[in-house]
Amino acid sequence: MANVKLPLEGIKVADFSWFGAGPICAENLGRFGATVVRVESESHIDGLRQVGPFPEGKTGYNVSGYFNNYNAGKFSLTLNLNIPRARDMALKLVAWADVFITNHTPRILERWGLLYDDIVKVNPQIIAAYQPMQGLEGPHKYFVGFGAVLNAITGYNYLSGFPHRPPVGLGTNYPDYVINPGHTLVAILAALRHKRRTGKGQKIELAQVESVVATLAPAVMDYTENGRVQMRKGNRISYAAPHGAFRCQDATWDNQPLDRWVTIAVFNDDQWAGLVRAMGSPAWASGAKFATFEARKENEDELEAKITEWTRERTPEELMPLLQSHGVPAGIVQHSKDVLEDEHLKARGYFEYLDHPETGRSVYDGAPFKLSKTPGSLKTPAPLLGQHNDYVCKEILGMSDEEIAEALIEQALY
Amino acid sequence: MADSALSDIRVIDLAGETGVYCTKLLADLGADVIRIEHPSGDPLREIGPFWHDERAADRSLIFLHNNANKRSVTLDITHPAGKAAFEKLVATADVVVETYEPGYLDSLGLGYDALDRIRPGIILTSITGFGQDGPHAHYKWSDIVGVGMSGMMHLAGDKEDPPNRPYGNQGYICAGIDGAAGTLMALYHRDVSGEGQHVDVSMQEALIINNETAIMTFDFNKRIAGRTGSRGSIPIDLPGIGIFKANDGEVFCYLGTPGGAPWPVVLDWMEREGKIEDLREPPNDDVARNLNLAYLSAMIREPARIPAVLPILAHMRDVFERFCASFSKWYLYEEAQKQRIMIGIVSTPEDLAKNPQLNARGWYHSEEHDHLAARVTYAGAPYRLAETPVTFRWRAPLPGEHTDEVLSEIGLPPTDVESLRSAGIV
Repeated sequence: MANVKLPLEGIKVADFSWFGAGPICAENLGRFGATVVRVESESHIDGLRQVGPFPEGKTGYNVSGYFNNYNAGKFSLTLNLNIPRARDMALKLVAWADVFITNHTPRILERWGLLYDDIVKVNPQIIAAYQPMQGLEGPHKYFVGFGAVLNAITGYNYLSGFPHRPPVGLGTNYPDYVINPGHTLVAILAALRHKRRTGKGQKIELAQVESVVATLAPAVMDYTENGRVQMRKGNRISYAAPHGAFRCQDATWDNQPLDRWVTIAVFNDDQWAGLVRAMGSPAWASGAKFATFEARKENEDELEAKITEWTRERTPEELMPLLQSHGVPAGIVQHSKDVLEDEHLKARGYFEYLDHPETGRSVYDGAPFKLSKTPGSLKTPAPLLGQHNDYVCKEILGMSDEEIAEALIEQALY
Repeated sequence: MADSALSDIRVIDLAGETGVYCTKLLADLGADVIRIEHPSGDPLREIGPFWHDERAADRSLIFLHNNANKRSVTLDITHPAGKAAFEKLVATADVVVETYEPGYLDSLGLGYDALDRIRPGIILTSITGFGQDGPHAHYKWSDIVGVGMSGMMHLAGDKEDPPNRPYGNQGYICAGIDGAAGTLMALYHRDVSGEGQHVDVSMQEALIINNETAIMTFDFNKRIAGRTGSRGSIPIDLPGIGIFKANDGEVFCYLGTPGGAPWPVVLDWMEREGKIEDLREPPNDDVARNLNLAYLSAMIREPARIPAVLPILAHMRDVFERFCASFSKWYLYEEAQKQRIMIGIVSTPEDLAKNPQLNARGWYHSEEHDHLAARVTYAGAPYRLAETPVTFRWRAPLPGEHTDEVLSEIGLPPTDVESLRSAGIV
């Protein structure tokens, strides 16, 4: 594959983002051939460098699995943008780039002079992607938050989970990982295509609240068109029954109990017949109570309890292939260990393992999509903080040794 | 007239639920997306809720949302005459998006190689539960199956509950986003090189990155992350972290963390509202003023202090609960944010519709629907592209609304269309 020319070879990306939503998008541009310079600084450290996970016995800015997973294949340049010289260097980098990306708040961008009107002066053809939480304009533009707060504001918390429980959310900063970086990648690729056809760059604004609510739009329409305020319903949906996660035999890990679950989703009578066969055609399942979709929906509490009696005695590893062999959509609720050891994912080569100078060999998420002729890959592990200062200053910014020394003394490079 | 990014691109949309968000994104960016629906009906049109709760093929809200800006052709591609018409359409297309079981299009003689022979340089985007190859390629999937197999479901919800499936078919959404990105990446490559390719999206893989740090945590530390409700990685209940009840709903708070105002600002606010109780008095005041993540880390390093501090933290949490319960969720959200205090409203769908920021930005838009004799409100796009904006060109098509128009464009004489129609193929 060494000679395959990747789609974005020659495209240059100035990545002024941090945390998840920006860096993941830029990492994927790099995966498919772009040159990406990640701008960061110890004066304004990316929070992900500070939180783990860390390899056993190691701490420091360079060993966070959280940070590293989103920044592979990039050059790291440390610029303290509170220093005027660093801001000049930042604008030089913008002048070099085809794509600029940031998820900093408007407040910070104003301070650093990185709003669109500032950067378009040095690069009229730039594609500038902004990912503010609430937008660059509007009454809430300065509101603070991060992924978990966004989960609440956008409706995921209210609509996910069980109705008798508080709206606790998804356990992660969910929109940071696919919803926002993925939508931004779509927008940047559309803009790159437009630029290739017309020579024109453009400003892209992805207000994270908008990007997320766009994925929940039918619930909003149910309110605006029907006046209905939907409520969370656990794992049930209106057009399937049974539909949920069913408790299996418990397991243990590290001397702790580990609860195990299998998902089962029955959308039609054929799948129901398959489930009944898989369960060994028990008497309870043959009656009128569960014979039709409407009946199963009507008696869903009892249906779930009966199925659980069956699954509770079995392992999910045994149930998934059994149910699948009867044509029932079903899967293990896998945990992290399962996912890393998943034979199917291994056969497809999803995860990538890279040798990092401080963490050693470690795992990185693979490509979001497989392209048959230009598959792309992560070429280098995540950079150490400031690892490429010298290279970027000389080769990209064209600075002399003397200018680099001055930048170091002024702590512009920091 | 603003340009659009994909105005020269024709997409054939064979996608079911797993991929319809992908073709929506392409249509909204300006592509000519032709949705092929089976003459016996498109299952997507049967998914509720429906407009005015009237169950009919032109009223599914999910269908309306996902299919605006597309054209609809009813065509049975499994019938030889239907297949021939489809091949004529493929000859004019740039992209085909499909979500069938792997190998199904091949069995019809319409797999990637066949499509590429008809239209060299074509891009075939296949979005499925588990991808085109591997031992699970032929497993049946649905949203919850993919979400479960990805690992993210194991992290969602309270320990006492079953793992939570995120609302709104997020498996299909994430796979759809990655499908659109993969299609555009392949299109860029085609524009540069002339070469098309097969884009393979696995819903399971598309979702795995949503595990946040769980995968790296196992890789580094051999620890399996589980469900912790809204506490995240913090092992105990803390004042001001998590879900709190307002007098009309809930808010999500993350106080004493970087990025938001520190506890002294919160205390000033509670005092102004007359709800501070005894948090200014010893021994509470010292903890209350200093509480942040660094304070907690220091406490954990000096376990002897824990017995004295824990009851104070529990009391602070009670006082903060009473404070939140005195106000509305919107008041808490907007008043906190004026002071950079990190509180977010737990929005219901009604709150989303009424959100002042979304409305001030004109994000929602109302569109005339001739067949309903009514206007329908739509959410806006996920992004704003200044030069190639997403626009609402027309509402989702009625079944087969563009059959005659499209078949005539590809050169089928009206008499042929009529004979296909009488045979039930269109």
